[in-house]
Amino acid sequence: MRPFDYYQPESFDEAFKLLTMPDKVVMPLAGSTDLIPMVRDERWSPDIVVDIKELPGLRDIKPVAGGPGCGVCEGECLYVGAAVRMSEIARSPLVNRHWGVLAQAAGAVGHEQVRNRATLGGNMGTASPAGDTLSALLVLEAEVLIQGAGGERCIPVTKFFLGPRKTALRPGEIIVAVLLPPLPEGSAGSYERLSRRRGADLALVGVSALAVPYAGGYQWRLALCAVAPTPIRVPEAEAVLSAGHDAVSLEQAAQLALAASHPIDDVRATAAYRREMVVRLTRRALQHVVEQLEH
Amino acid sequence: MLHEITFNVNGEPYTVAVKSQHTLLDVLREKLGITSPKRGCENGECGACTVLLDGKPVNSCMVLAVEAAGHEIETVEGLARDGELHPLQKAFIEHNAVQCGFCTPGVLMSAKGLLDENPHPNVDEIKHALAGNLCRCTGYVRIVDAVLDVAGNGQ
Repeated sequence: MRPFDYYQPESFDEAFKLLTMPDKVVMPLAGSTDLIPMVRDERWSPDIVVDIKELPGLRDIKPVAGGPGCGVCEGECLYVGAAVRMSEIARSPLVNRHWGVLAQAAGAVGHEQVRNRATLGGNMGTASPAGDTLSALLVLEAEVLIQGAGGERCIPVTKFFLGPRKTALRPGEIIVAVLLPPLPEGSAGSYERLSRRRGADLALVGVSALAVPYAGGYQWRLALCAVAPTPIRVPEAEAVLSAGHDAVSLEQAAQLALAASHPIDDVRATAAYRREMVVRLTRRALQHVVEQLEH
Repeated sequence: MLHEITFNVNGEPYTVAVKSQHTLLDVLREKLGITSPKRGCENGECGACTVLLDGKPVNSCMVLAVEAAGHEIETVEGLARDGELHPLQKAFIEHNAVQCGFCTPGVLMSAKGLLDENPHPNVDEIKHALAGNLCRCTGYVRIVDAVLDVAGNGQ
């Protein structure tokens, strides 16, 4: 592997000094499951790698009252640190309490060895359109807590993903945590994904669905990954489902999900196959949510 | 960049000088002569390099050696105690769960990670835990049977 220098800063100040070193290619590292293969394949060539996972607060999962500075979350949010491992999220009783769709998505990443290293912040920072946790964060309407040399800011996850491997992070900024807004009792979610090899490989298509009790009915949220340059919400399908989730609406929503998808051909699957799978996985995710609502 | 790191491998403390870009797999095999973790895909796909890091299965090809500083590593070399094979090793022999053997150390460590956390897993839990370990010889049936045997015996 091409040589680089590794640092593990103990404070944010030290981290930002390293991350903004002039004339150097500097990359943050948390779980290493993206960075090491990319450096080995010579697709990334960092001069300096900054291990951010031991920075204060990056490994915490904790309820917090309101969002620090973001003002969006009223009541109790769940704070999930950027360097929390996928296996920790999948098994966390706190995440599973209301935000189980994120636990399901984290549990679908790679296999156990990868989940024991890969982090939520890494999945977001890498911003692959196929990132499993990304569509779950969209339906949960998560806020992203970001810190840089200039201070802290909080942005909605809908504004975080700008394109394949492109995010709203400015040079030197790191993801500190996501904040998951509270959900009322009776909410139900499901994450469905398909990959060539079960228990490994990236998603060919991923679908997150969530129903939230609202005004005597449900407000539905639906998001897709691996079918567009970024993970996407499907508001047209959500409107149909929120008006009633009978069999006809479910089918209509699956077709609207298809209409919103613009998948590509790549080594994993053809666009045509992905389109077919969008319909099937959306049906399945919606059906799983309906089963939970009726339970 | 050189780092002097200290970590435990199978209960023994080691202090070694490693370069930033060295993986845990590089250092175990090339510096410490611990060769049960195999260099397979080096891409997190095959699981042949699986070791336990603080009790959890990880691909040692995707961990920087410097990240292992201060942590506990377990490999197949540490499974046998006082000349007695680990129950998983015995079960793999009894069930003929080994053919070429290249994947076996990784499979054993994934299985140990599972049993340490959940001593009585069912078939689905075993398959889930071993999903990151490719075996191109056995077809997995004998491997799953061997792990199930140990799980049933309550280890």
